[in-house]
Amino acid sequence: MSVAALTKKILHAALFYEIWDAMKVTFRHMLHRPMTFQYPREQRTIPDAHRGALGLLRYDDGRERCVGCDLCEVACPSHCIKVISAEDTARPLQRYASEFYIDITKCVFCGYCVEACPVNALAMTKMYEYSTHDKRSLLFDKKRLYDIGERHLDDGKKYLYAHNQEKNVEQSREYRYYFPQSVQKSTQPSPKHLS
Amino acid sequence: MGLKPATNPDVEAATIELSIDGKSVTAKDGVSLYDVIAMTGKIIPAMCYHYTFDPFGSCGMCLVMQEGKKAPVRSCTAKAAAGMVIRTEGEDLFLARKKAVEKHLSVHPLDCPVCDADGHCELQDMAFQHGVTNLANAKQKFIPEDTRSPVLDFNMNRCIACAECINVCKDVLMIDALQFMKKGGFNQVVAKGDLALDCEFCGDCLAVCPVGAITNKFSKYLYKPWQMKTTTTTCNYCGDGCQLYLETKDEEVVRVTSPLSWKNKWGDRSETAKGHGGLCVRGRFGFEYLDSKSRLTQPLVREGGQLVQKPWLETMHLLVERLTEIKSKYGADAIGGLVTARCTNEELYLFQKLMRAGFGTNQLDSSARYGHMNFVLASKRAVGLGRTPNDWEDLTKAKTIILIGSNITETNPLTAVRIKEAIRVYKAQVVTLDGAITNIAKLASHPFLIKPGTEGAVIDGLVKATIDQDLVDEEIVAKHPHAFEALNSAVENVSLERLAAQTGLPVEAFREIAAIFAESPRSIILCGEGIVRRTNGYQNVLKLMDLAWITGKLGRAGCGVNTVTEEPNEQGAVDMGAAPEFFPGQARFDDQGVRDRFAKAWETSLPPVGSGAHLIEILKRCKSGQIKALYILGENPLATLPASMEVRAALERLELLVVQDPFLTDTGELAHFVLPACTYTEKDGTFTNLEGRVLRVRQAMDPLGESLPDWHIMTALANAMGCRWEYQSANDIQAEIMKLLPGYYNLGQPRKVVPIPDQYLSDGYTAEVKARYQQTPPSGEHTRPFSLLMGQLLVHSGKLSTQASGLIKIAPNTGKLRMNIRDMERLGLQDGAKVRVTSNRGSLQLGVQPDQSIAPGTCFFPEHFNEPPVKDLMPVSVDATTGVPSFKQIWVSVEQA
Repeated sequence: MSVAALTKKILHAALFYEIWDAMKVTFRHMLHRPMTFQYPREQRTIPDAHRGALGLLRYDDGRERCVGCDLCEVACPSHCIKVISAEDTARPLQRYASEFYIDITKCVFCGYCVEACPVNALAMTKMYEYSTHDKRSLLFDKKRLYDIGERHLDDGKKYLYAHNQEKNVEQSREYRYYFPQSVQKSTQPSPKHLS
Repeated sequence: MGLKPATNPDVEAATIELSIDGKSVTAKDGVSLYDVIAMTGKIIPAMCYHYTFDPFGSCGMCLVMQEGKKAPVRSCTAKAAAGMVIRTEGEDLFLARKKAVEKHLSVHPLDCPVCDADGHCELQDMAFQHGVTNLANAKQKFIPEDTRSPVLDFNMNRCIACAECINVCKDVLMIDALQFMKKGGFNQVVAKGDLALDCEFCGDCLAVCPVGAITNKFSKYLYKPWQMKTTTTTCNYCGDGCQLYLETKDEEVVRVTSPLSWKNKWGDRSETAKGHGGLCVRGRFGFEYLDSKSRLTQPLVREGGQLVQKPWLETMHLLVERLTEIKSKYGADAIGGLVTARCTNEELYLFQKLMRAGFGTNQLDSSARYGHMNFVLASKRAVGLGRTPNDWEDLTKAKTIILIGSNITETNPLTAVRIKEAIRVYKAQVVTLDGAITNIAKLASHPFLIKPGTEGAVIDGLVKATIDQDLVDEEIVAKHPHAFEALNSAVENVSLERLAAQTGLPVEAFREIAAIFAESPRSIILCGEGIVRRTNGYQNVLKLMDLAWITGKLGRAGCGVNTVTEEPNEQGAVDMGAAPEFFPGQARFDDQGVRDRFAKAWETSLPPVGSGAHLIEILKRCKSGQIKALYILGENPLATLPASMEVRAALERLELLVVQDPFLTDTGELAHFVLPACTYTEKDGTFTNLEGRVLRVRQAMDPLGESLPDWHIMTALANAMGCRWEYQSANDIQAEIMKLLPGYYNLGQPRKVVPIPDQYLSDGYTAEVKARYQQTPPSGEHTRPFSLLMGQLLVHSGKLSTQASGLIKIAPNTGKLRMNIRDMERLGLQDGAKVRVTSNRGSLQLGVQPDQSIAPGTCFFPEHFNEPPVKDLMPVSVDATTGVPSFKQIWVSVEQA
């Protein structure tokens, strides 16, 4: 060991150099703003394109958008969606999903189901806080999905906008499918939505 | 082939040569160009084409370039001609076809997500194949959906006007229930006259619709094609044995589709002689009983007058205990068994083995006893063959068909389609002889209405007319001069004039029918329920054999005497030996050699000859107390036989009644043990149809609840009774049958059989024939003016179909007597009026409704319903030779109540 190196070592030892060196980081951080969020007191701003929990949307008049076409089910790569469709007995010929399940524990948040939906009934929201003690409550049923959709309607619409699926309210009407009326008589009345 | 084949059994078409895509191709003259191209293996898209009917040429997709023509031609409507030079591929053709798709799509609603045909749609496939992504000038039709029919919905927004539905209905099924109609500016498919569709509801229009314009109400919106598992299996309703695709989603049957489909549009027209692949209303829409809520899912045991649910293990313990007790106390002859012909061959085989080897009794019978046994025993006696000699192809290609006592479009709709094809394509002469105005009579060349119950007399007349007019095949009868002599003297006293008065058939008609039957090269007799299920059925079948014999039709190719069966496996029940007189393979039970063979194969001693009993005898022995325990597998004698048989009293006297059934039947409610069996969708096996073709039944889903396949229950029972059966699956039973009856399965093809009457004619014929032609009609019963008939409806089959909610929706139990409108007018009755029907057996009050198919002087009630109990008005006469009970006809008086 050379004299210079030895001198340096003694000097460092006498002046507690390592401590000052470490404290340098501490003092520097005292001076600038904290990087961490105090979750859950503080929340991050989430971008519109964020893929969070799925929700089912309604039209402005309160009707369910979903027509029970099962296309989300077939598009889902992790097979976490199950749709059971039926004819609405109150409104003949109206197809709707009588049951709708998403097993969110299996969901990989790819967003394929939203893309597959021909009527933009599914949307991803900014909701991500649904941890629970009971795993069974993570099987979202139709009611839960509509609840999510209702609570996060704006987020859902923003998601669809961000993903180029729906530009505005006008355009959402274009996607809407009008079911034909049922005739019991041979005379043809003109469909209601046309007049 | 689309165009009617130029080749038929009588004429061979000329051969032509043409060039397709540079290759030289030979073809038959007269077929369409499209068929010739399809024959080479090239597939040109075509949406309005189907091989079962003539090309229509509306879709504009099958375009090809023909040398010498500037524009592409439609290949389907163009006839192939010698020397044509055809190009089927190329950019120009692709673009022309794309334009055609765009034309269809521009007025299509594009509602694929909610359309039932999504994923199974030819227009979708074509749009994808041709890359149609942009549509200029797309417009919507906005036509309301026609939901008036109880079965099919017509959404004409989706229609591409290919007319496949109209063509299949008109050309193949000859029902002609659909038509085009210009409505709201568009050509739409509507039911005839724009009324609510009211047809036979075979659903073949639904099958061939390439888009979702026609949809099925019972499965609407319940599925997407890709979600379902498809199983090919055999229909469980009638003896036709149609193949069907059962589409299931988990434990739920969603719909039934047929091999006839737009997906399956290329074929040879001559192939349809073996069946066009369609289904009838029962097969296609009668699936809802399979996963019905009323299915039994747990064994039931009677405890203190109540049926209580019990676990299998406990039930079997109790049951075996009771059975062993009865067997040790009263002997094996205190046990009897009945089985339904809706079971598979394997189960029927196992049933008779269980009865004979397990319980040691020969008191067993199947539901073939209700009629088919008459044919089997008569045919076996006369020609040594216990089944029909002809298959569907023979029927289609026949020149003359005599249809006697059969409403075939109702009982066996797909066999009826074969006769329709014989009429339409091969120009056959069809003679119908029935007591009702049947649908097939409306198409037949020689329709005759006879007085009900006189079928036997008609045959007498036909035999007499044949001999009188010297239409006898001399060469054939010369082989058995004594037999012919006996027949001649037997019919000597038969007078055509008297028969004409008795049957209502003019004397000339007898002569004409005899002449066309005797003179045609391929003549087939088809006898139905009017022969085999009525009194003297056995004798009447023998008389038909006589008729066929003297005209030289027995044993000749394409000729023969045939019958139709009501249940899917009546033939199998006889072949599997589920009858006291037969071992498997229709070997006689009293034949010592056969007995030794089966005793050795089953490693047991067999019940003695002479101890056997058929259905009626079993019920009689139950009533007399000789039989103490009855094992009923799927049968329901209480709801089938009239009250005069005293079935209830017989069953109530039993110490042990075991019923094994998918549903809790009337008989089941009396039982001490009810074992839940599963339906044909939940098990493997085979059915033998009326042609003798062995058809596979495949498992489509798991047994519902705790129900089990019948073979499984029987194996468990046998093992508990001390047998050592090691069947793990239906395949193991099949292997045993294959060993005992080599060649029975025959790879699902009907075995060619030749009826040989020589044995019978040289031995025993002369002694029997005299009695056959001496029958006088039972007098005394004619004091009442109306003949009440009970029979089958198209929409129903036995009691089983009444569990299918869809079929009940189409044809509910109206509880009304059906009468001819003229009779109703004469009696001053309105539709729905109450009448009192009185027979010698009692009287009953019920409503009345007009029915076009009922002949004057008759009235009809469907046999599927017991509410009101019309069957209890019927007398039962049991055939002396075959033990077949007949209880479908009686004379009644009808008066306003």
